[in-house]
Amino acid sequence: MVGEARVPMLPQAPKTIWQAKVNHRSVEVLAPSNAVLLDVLRDNVGQLGVKRGCDLGTCGCCAVLVDGQPRLSCMTLAGDVEGCAITTVEGLAEGHHLAPIQTCFAMHGGSQCGFCTPGFLISAQALLYQTSSPTEAEVNEAIEGNLCRCTGYQPIVESIMAAAALLRGEGEAPVPPTNPHADPHPSGPEEPQLPPGHAR
Amino acid sequence: MSGGYRQQPGGAGGGIRKDGKRVAGKLRFTPPGAGGSRPVSSPRDLDGIPESVGGNEPQPAGHHVHDRLRTGTTVGRSTALVDANAKVTGQAWYGDDVRLPNEVIGRILRSPHHYARIRSIDTSAAEAMPGVLAIATGSDAPKTFGVLPVTKDEHAMAVEKVRHVGDLVACVAAVDEATAMEALGAIVVDYEELEPEFDPRKGLEDVDEPIHWRGKYHVGRTNVQKRVHQAFGDRSKIEHAAATSRRAWRFEGVHHGFTEPHAVVAHWDANGRLQLYTPQQVPHYTHRALATVLNVPMHQINVVRTFVGGGFGGKSDPFPHEMCAAILARKCGRPVRITFDREEVYWINRGRHPSYIEVKLDADEDGRVAGLDVDALIDGGAFASFGHVTSYYNGVLATAPYELGSFHYTGARVWTNKPASGAMRGHGAVNTRCAVEVGLDDIAEQLAVDPIDLRLANLLPPHSRTISGFRITSNGMREALRRVKEGSGWDEKFRKMPLGKGIGIGCGFFISGSGLPIHWDPNRFPHATVHIQVDMDGGVTVHTGAADIGQGSTTAVAQVVSEVLALPLDMIHVRSHESDTSPVDLGSYSSRVTFMNCNAAIRAAMEIRDELLNAAWDMLGYHPTTLVMVDRRIVYKHDPSIGVSYLQALHKAQEDKGALIARGAYRSPPMGGVHKGAAAGLAPAYSFSAYVAEVDVDVETGLVKCTRVWAAHDCGKALNPLAVEGQIIGSCHMGLGQVLSEQMVYGRTGHLQNANLLQYQIPSVHEMPHVTPIIVESSDPEGPFGAKEAGEGPLLPILPAVCNAVYDAVGVRPSSLPLTPDVVWADIQKRIKKEGVEDPLELESPRLTHGPLQEKLAARAEEHHSRDRARQRTEDTSPYVNGVLFGFDPTRPIDEQLEGWAAIDDPDPESMAEMGYAGRAWLKQEQRQMGGDV
Ligand code: FES
Ligand code: FES
Repeated sequence: MVGEARVPMLPQAPKTIWQAKVNHRSVEVLAPSNAVLLDVLRDNVGQLGVKRGCDLGTCGCCAVLVDGQPRLSCMTLAGDVEGCAITTVEGLAEGHHLAPIQTCFAMHGGSQCGFCTPGFLISAQALLYQTSSPTEAEVNEAIEGNLCRCTGYQPIVESIMAAAALLRGEGEAPVPPTNPHADPHPSGPEEPQLPPGHAR
Repeated sequence: MSGGYRQQPGGAGGGIRKDGKRVAGKLRFTPPGAGGSRPVSSPRDLDGIPESVGGNEPQPAGHHVHDRLRTGTTVGRSTALVDANAKVTGQAWYGDDVRLPNEVIGRILRSPHHYARIRSIDTSAAEAMPGVLAIATGSDAPKTFGVLPVTKDEHAMAVEKVRHVGDLVACVAAVDEATAMEALGAIVVDYEELEPEFDPRKGLEDVDEPIHWRGKYHVGRTNVQKRVHQAFGDRSKIEHAAATSRRAWRFEGVHHGFTEPHAVVAHWDANGRLQLYTPQQVPHYTHRALATVLNVPMHQINVVRTFVGGGFGGKSDPFPHEMCAAILARKCGRPVRITFDREEVYWINRGRHPSYIEVKLDADEDGRVAGLDVDALIDGGAFASFGHVTSYYNGVLATAPYELGSFHYTGARVWTNKPASGAMRGHGAVNTRCAVEVGLDDIAEQLAVDPIDLRLANLLPPHSRTISGFRITSNGMREALRRVKEGSGWDEKFRKMPLGKGIGIGCGFFISGSGLPIHWDPNRFPHATVHIQVDMDGGVTVHTGAADIGQGSTTAVAQVVSEVLALPLDMIHVRSHESDTSPVDLGSYSSRVTFMNCNAAIRAAMEIRDELLNAAWDMLGYHPTTLVMVDRRIVYKHDPSIGVSYLQALHKAQEDKGALIARGAYRSPPMGGVHKGAAAGLAPAYSFSAYVAEVDVDVETGLVKCTRVWAAHDCGKALNPLAVEGQIIGSCHMGLGQVLSEQMVYGRTGHLQNANLLQYQIPSVHEMPHVTPIIVESSDPEGPFGAKEAGEGPLLPILPAVCNAVYDAVGVRPSSLPLTPDVVWADIQKRIKKEGVEDPLELESPRLTHGPLQEKLAARAEEHHSRDRARQRTEDTSPYVNGVLFGFDPTRPIDEQLEGWAAIDDPDPESMAEMGYAGRAWLKQEQRQMGGDV
């Protein structure tokens, strides 16, 4: 806090029950009636995947889907979206099966430090709900409210394009190299044809 | 095939003998963890194995000592980050995501004054408030700390004086944020305001109340924190300069702009040990500083690095708020979480220094760079931070990639009452590099030659020494320049495009790891250590302190281990978060991680590899030199059907001792000279880059838009091309921000006016040009598999490339950044007046008719091309030092050959003052010379 002016805090608003469907799960939490959606999601519902980058609507890290539409949760009053279906980054995957957009971000370098990633995924997903063959201009427009300091956006645009291609059924979902599948005890490759008389 | 144990040829296991008898004592055990969807080893992929050891991977830059370790597993392949899945599912835990049971919220009271003495602080009213659990002020932690041991000038909270608006005064822990904020308001601080200083140029003058006092080393009574001077070479070379470019620049401060605001959680556990969770690039420095400030031994502190939401140098200082959280948690006995809002991020700053830089370049009649004079006055803000080093870097990192006839540098860093500047991507090198490269463009213009050819004819070759004695090993500068020239269609575009369209070139040079660990003697303790542990399940756990800040260091370490052991990436688990389990490491700064940690990791992995090979020797009877590691198997070189699985060899190796444990360390080779500041800028390797940028300039409004960039960077060897390209494009973005729009605006009153992401203008996706990343591989002899840095160097060239492109487009050379429309417009107006045209659209764009020197330079460049190739491939191993281009014999010390070619240590204050602002810092004497305050 900078400055000498001492504005006494407003008396805290009374707490009320807030309910909504967050990531396909009905939640009911006790939150101040004037609470901001971002705070409720992070502090009360526990969706820490929603990130706070600025609190001022300038970075896009806090984006969530409200009934399929992207919204900045730091600029949304929780009361305004009462009862809505809210999807955060945690709700994009189905169990262990990542959504195409998530796999593509991982495989195409769309995420470096990863802090902006939840916001980008949400913006991108909202676009992909509308169309699976977006133009580059449409992609740019969809993510223009999101800030990324690491990637320079280019890999992000590529990731979204790749995800759209997957949705159109072109190509197969790539498997990240870290997916567990290796047996430490493999058998050897096929026996080579040994020349006659070859000594082992 | 389903999982489970399968019989292996030559495997253990007893059973029934041929005559039907059971063999005693041989029970079958299932190997633990066997199973999985990839039960068959894949054959060696020769495309991932270098030529020199019989593979198909081309090696134009020659072979490398690590070639024999290559197994073709992951190195050189584009690989997703190993933690990418955590990041795309929202499971990555950053600073503010650490929520401990029973936590309370900490908030910080910050100074409203630029500069003031604290008379008293009254916290009684705040303490009495319900819900307030602890309050701390400066008197709770009187010890100083700082990132560099030589300049410890920070306190957890202000002691005696506040030094900038936003300086920490007190902190409060309370049950929730609202209560904490209320309590801050109830703290009464009595300040006595002092005369603040915002202009770094005035920092050179004596004042009543310098911002810090350095005792006998204080320069007069000024605010000069550090002054440096270096001079090398032969000044007589510049007397008959054929072209001279002198330009005084002004660079505004810029901020890292990482997306994650600082956050910290401190918790004293049940045994009274401090657990501190913080997104840090350099957890080890925080660890040290915490021990000092809190007065507890280091082993009683566990620093846990959370995921880091972008660092870029901005999270590499030990921070006062980290101390605050620990102090509050100690006082109230509960975990304390402090999270910054975006404004506070700017108050702690540590961004790039606002600078006044003057660069003078002289070229002789042969188009050689006879003289480079740099004078850099940098505005350090209120604290030293990394400033000591920055003061040197502003000069010494300009001594390559060109061969210089002489080099003079004066630098000074001054304190002002603004948030502290510090290290930011491209630390210290960015601004000077911009000035030098624009100067070269100017020289090329005067000599009527192509600027790329001018550069190509003046490059230092691989395996040479710079004028100040830096040891250059691999050097891909020439290839980078040639490839961007080709890729961009330079010859058809340069000086040939219509008004408003331009193309420009810029180069870069940066350290790949600082040669000197700040806190210890590099000869007594390694730079980096990595531990590897392999237990019977076959999983490989790698412990390293390398801080992954998104650049992918964890992935790089996992990759090199996976490559040496020929195991898939999913079997390598890197643990790098906690200081309890990680060996000491300097963390992520000066682009050291890939170079140093991967080297250490390779060494550790080699030990494991030897143990496995020896075990296989026992089992197969073939000597390890005839065995090769293929995908999860060890096989006989000449007949891959003879072999054992990785797990079998591992169990054999573990027979007598259980889990395999190995460690590897990296120490830089001895380097450096004897002159003052010789250690600054030393690195075991250097990266090189060259960019060409294309811009559109609106001649009527001065609006600059960068449209295309060809970005070539020499990273030695791309361990993970996807990550390298990501770094190149990301650097471009950050550099473009600095050259076109980003600046920290301090008004006339010294207040930071744009402490938010709306007015601090980071380019959005719409401002991003299309970048074509070009990876140049020069295979560094000491790098891991030949790799060098790729994180910072690529930022440097974009600034001058854009500036030079603006000149190509409209014929003006602005000398202050950022190139906002008003700056460019004003310069265009000046040109209009000078040329007496009516309408800006009537201006002519610059054109080039090659002068007589052009052919000579091109011929020299061609000659050097073959020279460099031979040196790079070590076909030519003759010594080479800066100065050979000027006719010196590299086998004899240069100062023997020419009087006047030497490092000048004793500066003459009068002549230095002519160099520029920073030179004037030498007009003052230090207190000890004045006989005062000894
Ligand atoms: S936190 Fe909501 S836009 Fe930045
Ligand atoms: S990945 Fe770091 S900000 Fe986007």
